[in-house]
Amino acid sequence: MKRLTLAFLLVTVGTAAGAQQSAPSATVVEIPPLTSPDEGTRGNEMLQIGWEATQLIASDLGQTAELMPLKPKREDYVSYPEVTAPSFGKWRPLGAKLLLTGFVQSRSDGRIAIGCYVYDVGKGTELARKGFVLPKSDWRRAAHKCSALAYTAVTGSPGMFDTRIAYVSEKGTGDAKVRRIAFMDSDGYNHKYLTSGNSIVLKPRQSPNASQLAYVSFESGKPTIRLLDVGTGQERPLVPIDAINFAPRFSRDGSQIAFSMMLGPNSDIYSVGAGGGMPRRLTTSPAVDTDPSYSPDGSKIVFESDRSGSQQLYVMNADGSNERRISFGAGAYATPEWSPDGQWIAFTGRSQYGRRIGIMKPDGTEERYLTNGPADEAPTWAASSREIMFARFGQGARWTLYRLSLSGGDAQQVAIPQDGSDPDWSGAMD
Amino acid sequence: MRKKILFLTLTLAAAGAQAQILPFLSKRGPQQPVVQGIDALRAEFAAQSGGTTIYYAPGNAVLTPPSRTVLSAQAAWIRRHPEMVVRIEGYGDTGDTRDHALAIGAKRAEEARDYLVLMGVPMAQVSTTSWGGERSGLGRAVTILVR
Repeated sequence: MKRLTLAFLLVTVGTAAGAQQSAPSATVVEIPPLTSPDEGTRGNEMLQIGWEATQLIASDLGQTAELMPLKPKREDYVSYPEVTAPSFGKWRPLGAKLLLTGFVQSRSDGRIAIGCYVYDVGKGTELARKGFVLPKSDWRRAAHKCSALAYTAVTGSPGMFDTRIAYVSEKGTGDAKVRRIAFMDSDGYNHKYLTSGNSIVLKPRQSPNASQLAYVSFESGKPTIRLLDVGTGQERPLVPIDAINFAPRFSRDGSQIAFSMMLGPNSDIYSVGAGGGMPRRLTTSPAVDTDPSYSPDGSKIVFESDRSGSQQLYVMNADGSNERRISFGAGAYATPEWSPDGQWIAFTGRSQYGRRIGIMKPDGTEERYLTNGPADEAPTWAASSREIMFARFGQGARWTLYRLSLSGGDAQQVAIPQDGSDPDWSGAMD
Repeated sequence: MRKKILFLTLTLAAAGAQAQILPFLSKRGPQQPVVQGIDALRAEFAAQSGGTTIYYAPGNAVLTPPSRTVLSAQAAWIRRHPEMVVRIEGYGDTGDTRDHALAIGAKRAEEARDYLVLMGVPMAQVSTTSWGGERSGLGRAVTILVR
């Protein structure tokens, strides 16, 4: 039996050789219940966690367009040695191309170890494995990481299962509306409110691992960005300057925040270190420049500007040099966000059709619209770069959140306790 | 008698009464300055400058000739009232995306402030903010509020 590698949220020991790039049809996955080496009462407790984790993994993968999990069955129980040495002959007749096995083990320090393994059933080879040690109450996070392991093995893209969605929770309409920054796991669990609702709040933006959150608050009477450490609850103004500033966004490595600020007659784009320091001005046009978003390697920024007379998308180097326009279609373009894989820029298009969500390549080619509007806004990418969440203004003058797969199909409404706008989808949490 | 009147005055003052209800007292001293409440000042500001809201064309922050007329009259009033401060609040266009609405609202407010300053209003008397599209009712406008 192979030795199990265990460490808290350890990086993959050997990822898949990108089995298929984009599956024309979904890859079928068999997930026997996660087993346990433990015995007695403790063993039963671990098996129960394992069974719940198994169902969560199946639910995660069932939501993707690329994978199709077979419904987990308790009687498909495998022994602990079979986790690392599966008898492929048993699984081949079921038609699954992929097998995901795993175990849950109690530890003397009160925490648990969860390991999971992904195999190519046809070839009888291991594609990837991961192990985690974590408090018992955090088993969901390990299960999400196991889902991501299988998803990455098939698609080559990072999974969006252990990610967090921040948004503006809205209650009521008009000027009586109460708005709070909220966040939740991408499957809707662990929903929390981060602000009290005493002042208008907008545009939460998380650092890629969701440990920090920048948002816009009107508490001082004018819109300014506040930076919140999610773990400690400590908060500070992003910049020590008495000027209107808004539209924050982290770079993909979390070190920089680009934002808009009014230090003069119009809004320009600035960047500042996430740890503090003086902001650096990146744009100087006399027009409104806003909504910056970094490329995944941090070398470029896409933003919107009305310098041509209407809002259009521009790309520049992260130091502000080499600005060039990339949008040339009919109407106006706003709220760009660069996809985590660098391939696409999602945007809000404004035209006679209203506001619609679209995507284009970073050079402006291959533009296409994903929604029909008429009041869709603020797209944000999943870590997988294969899904987009956005806000829709509709019935009863209320905002709701929707989730959309690039592979097609209708946008699905996201279940949240109240109304919601300004979604922000984090990368995988550490 | 004097003591009694003084006592009466203090009592009335403590009760929050205005001096004009005792006309026989005002005859004794010099004419009291007219104390205007903030609401009366706001009403006067609006009446003498032709309004507290100015509007812009869609998607831009350029002041129109009618807006300049209103702002000039406002500037004259603000110069006569150095004790007052004004706050200019900008709004975006209906249907605009959130951040652009904030930005264009802020730009509209800045344009209005610049014009007031050009007309001689001290910078310290004017502050600006933007509501973008976050408050209902107003679009493509700024409101100039006396405080």
